Amino acid sequence: MKKLVLRVVLLSLVLLMVGSFVFAQGQKATTSDEVTIVIMPKLVGIPYFNASETGAKQAGIDLGVNVIYTGPSTADAAQQVRMIEDLIAKGVDAIAVAPNDPAALTPVLRKAKQAGILVLDWDTPADQSVVDLSVHQIDDQEYGQHIWDLLVQEMGDTGDYAVVTGGLSAANLNGWIDAGLSYAKTKYPKLNLVTDRVPTDEKQQIAYQKTLDLLKAYPSLKGVVGVSTPAPLGAAQAVQEKGVADKVAVVGTALPTDSKPYLEDGSLRVATLWDPGKLGYLTVYLAKEMLAGNKPVNGQDVPNVGKITVWADGKTVIMGPPTDFTKENAGTFSF
Amino acid sequence: MEQNTQQTVENEKKGLRKLFGKFHLETKELVLLWIFLGIFILMSIISPGRFLSVYNLQSMAYQFPEFGILALSMMVIIVTGGINLSITYSATLASILGAVVMVSMNKAGAPELASVLVGVFIIIVASLVTGAVNGLIVAHIGIVPMLATLGTMTLFEGISLNITKGGAISGFPNMFQWFGNSSIIGIPVPLFIFVLVIIATYFILQRSTFGAKVYMIGCNPTATRFSGINVKKTLFLLYVYSGLLTGLAGLVMASRYNSAKESYGYTYLLQSVSAAVLGGTDISGGFGKVFGTVISVLILQVISSGLNIFGVNRFITDVIMGMILILVLTINFINNKREEKALVTKKIVTA
Amino acid sequence: MNRILTTIRKSKEMNILLVLIVISIIISIFNGSFLTMGNLLDVVKSNIVLAIMSMGMLLVLLTGGIDVSIASVISAVTVVVGQFMVHVSSNIVLVFIVGVLAGSLMGLINGLLIAKLKIPPIVATLGTMSIIFGVVLYLTNGTWITGIPQNFIDFGRVTIGKFNVAGSDQPTGIPIQFLFLVLAAALTWFILKYTVIGRGIYAIGGNKESAERIGINSDNLTLFVYVYEGFLIGLAGVVHTSIMRQVDPNAFIGFELQVIAAVVLGGASVLGGYGSVFGTLVGVSLFCVINNGLILMHIPVYWQKIVVGVVLITSISVDVIQKRMQEKKNVRVDIDENIQRFARTSVSKEVKTQA
Repeated sequence: MKKLVLRVVLLSLVLLMVGSFVFAQGQKATTSDEVTIVIMPKLVGIPYFNASETGAKQAGIDLGVNVIYTGPSTADAAQQVRMIEDLIAKGVDAIAVAPNDPAALTPVLRKAKQAGILVLDWDTPADQSVVDLSVHQIDDQEYGQHIWDLLVQEMGDTGDYAVVTGGLSAANLNGWIDAGLSYAKTKYPKLNLVTDRVPTDEKQQIAYQKTLDLLKAYPSLKGVVGVSTPAPLGAAQAVQEKGVADKVAVVGTALPTDSKPYLEDGSLRVATLWDPGKLGYLTVYLAKEMLAGNKPVNGQDVPNVGKITVWADGKTVIMGPPTDFTKENAGTFSF
Repeated sequence: MEQNTQQTVENEKKGLRKLFGKFHLETKELVLLWIFLGIFILMSIISPGRFLSVYNLQSMAYQFPEFGILALSMMVIIVTGGINLSITYSATLASILGAVVMVSMNKAGAPELASVLVGVFIIIVASLVTGAVNGLIVAHIGIVPMLATLGTMTLFEGISLNITKGGAISGFPNMFQWFGNSSIIGIPVPLFIFVLVIIATYFILQRSTFGAKVYMIGCNPTATRFSGINVKKTLFLLYVYSGLLTGLAGLVMASRYNSAKESYGYTYLLQSVSAAVLGGTDISGGFGKVFGTVISVLILQVISSGLNIFGVNRFITDVIMGMILILVLTINFINNKREEKALVTKKIVTA
Repeated sequence: MNRILTTIRKSKEMNILLVLIVISIIISIFNGSFLTMGNLLDVVKSNIVLAIMSMGMLLVLLTGGIDVSIASVISAVTVVVGQFMVHVSSNIVLVFIVGVLAGSLMGLINGLLIAKLKIPPIVATLGTMSIIFGVVLYLTNGTWITGIPQNFIDFGRVTIGKFNVAGSDQPTGIPIQFLFLVLAAALTWFILKYTVIGRGIYAIGGNKESAERIGINSDNLTLFVYVYEGFLIGLAGVVHTSIMRQVDPNAFIGFELQVIAAVVLGGASVLGGYGSVFGTLVGVSLFCVINNGLILMHIPVYWQKIVVGVVLITSISVDVIQKRMQEKKNVRVDIDENIQRFARTSVSKEVKTQA
């Protein structure tokens, strides 16, 4: 009997623990009848997607819609699929997803559509045949070219350079790099890529280590392109420590707040990105409009975001050109 | 409400004990069963419309098989006192190899059924090979499983990356979707595959002489060797079986995600270890039941889906998972202690 | 000198040391800059954190335990240290004390779960891993801590000695962080070699029951080991912050496997009872040298992981096969010596030193 009591006590402990969390967090979500829009990043808990969360949540308040910003805690496509399945079961009005892998999400997004949910992609394009709207921060092609233009602006159009990237299987990073490489082939034929893109596991520490290695393996290196937000910072740190900041130009995609110290000491020449908060805001705004039956039009002025471009296919939306961050302006941004 | 839950659980417990008594259920598994039922009922009471909906139950039944199969492939190795860190990359490597062939056959205009059959065949063969590589290194060369499989994990990932160059391989024949996205009389195909795997693993591990050898190796490899059992061969075959299971998981994943890529499901690695040990498998080998692992897979699934539906922060979900792991092991510890005490008193009384 | 050489030759770490030397030679043939002071210092500096943490992990493995929560612990330490510096004080001594305390506290939690509640180490630390990571990321949301005070940054840039290095205009010195590695290694070595605690650790790793029977309190020792490991992780956390100069709560995800691999590579047994500071340092070095060599040898990116996998497996295989041959030889020697009883005592001594 004592054993039984003990077990019952322990069991209720587990239930209480789970239950209290569920009640605490579940209550607020279930009370309202308003439109529910899910914004799912590739993963939660990194600065870039935190910034877009702020924007998405702000849009929810401004526009009077219920925004759920949730995603897996690791950038695993399998986890993302499971979460979308759960959200379909939960019953929401729209799902906007930044796919970890476009192909992997196609079946589940089709399921969502069958369940009558509006399906969008944002940040990274999904399979275009299953989405109702595709929200891009930027034209991938143009962005890749822009990064390489910045590189040439800083290192000149002749010489050796290397690319450090977040990961070999990140679809959007690969897209930019591929665009940039093929652009460089025709536009800047005297640029010489010393080795294939070097993966850095989305970590500054590894980007730092790999750049140190690159500097030694290719002493003639004149430029480093860092793609993914921690990569340029690690590269800049390596260049700074070796005292070659004046010889090796580092450019890349980074958030202005994080890259400020490197821009200031000159190890990072220039960084380029968009405001992720605006992207989150725009995605929520467009999802709400679509639910109300309003399709976006080219040149439409979105409050708090600006004029957007809509492609001829009617469902690809481009937020606008990227912002370049330099020593001078890095302090003026809040993301 | 709380009392209601407990009563139902108690009633069910009596019935279940009879029912599962035949399957050699022990205290550890019963505790897990309780926890599973408790959480399931709790979630259902909070959200009968969403959690307990047919749609959600079905969607969960699509979700856990891939993880469950991987957890079993981990569990059979842990029983020997080893660990297999290569499971997720072995699964994706096999599915990538199958995918490459399937896609090129599809493009060349081969009949759908033929390319699917060839693709599946290659996935299975490739997974057997990855298992054999592990088996060779662990059993025949004699490298510690943790280090050996860490090496093969890197190797498999490297080969996959080399093939895909970081992208995903897609463009399967439509028929291939059957393995991951179809159902037979409302029951998802992946679940069928999982059930087959459970039954097979149960018979191999708990009902055959081969299984008995495996448990003996887990208890004491040296003694097992001296008792005339071919430890190398047994271990090798077990790693091949573990590899086969990763292949099946890879098959389900490739079909569910309609593509193959090296990083799919890499988060399942540590989760599989958790599921196996949560299910009562002894990490130092020699003990572990298929049923326990299966129940823990269900527990993890219900918590994950439930909390997700209720909109709980993902990091809090991680915290809850960790707490449950520690809590269950603590319960086991207390139970063991009580049983020991009971045993001692019994001895004293009989004396 | 001869005696030192024979001890090295006979030691269990010899094989892996040979592998390290062979690989180093191969890399330097491909790229001369590998064996320069500048490169070696870079390798050391970017792997100090790994090396310090592996000292703690060594102790844990020696007791037959394992700790997969280390990545989450160091992540928590760096966040605590970062917040402390930004909001309270950037006094270097205070920062170290805070870091070490935070690490030890989390080590204590692990230790209590393992020693007192008898939860198997891998389960307990899997649990604390998801709890600590979950809490850290829930509270910080992964936001980087920037704006580390200048005096701490300056401290991180201190170097000892100055010498000119080929290929770089700047004179380089030994980074201050290296001192902490020396400290950690020396302390761990001392504990293992010269204290009752050390002998106890080997004893419970070898055979827990007989160790308890001869009066060793295994609970307290286990507790000590995890607290000490936490202490070293705390140290490593501060060192890491001084190198990176900002805190990224996500920086260590997946790091635990690297640490464990490096220690096991250095000859420590996952079953407990065997392992040494020297071996661990060799293991860590081998790990770092392989990684460093990939780019220096111009190995194409899509082949790098394959190379790492193959090198890992072959180097351990060489080690294992070599040992097995040695064992066979020893047995044969034993038989021979039944005839020549004279030499027998010395051989059995040898066998003992190897066991």
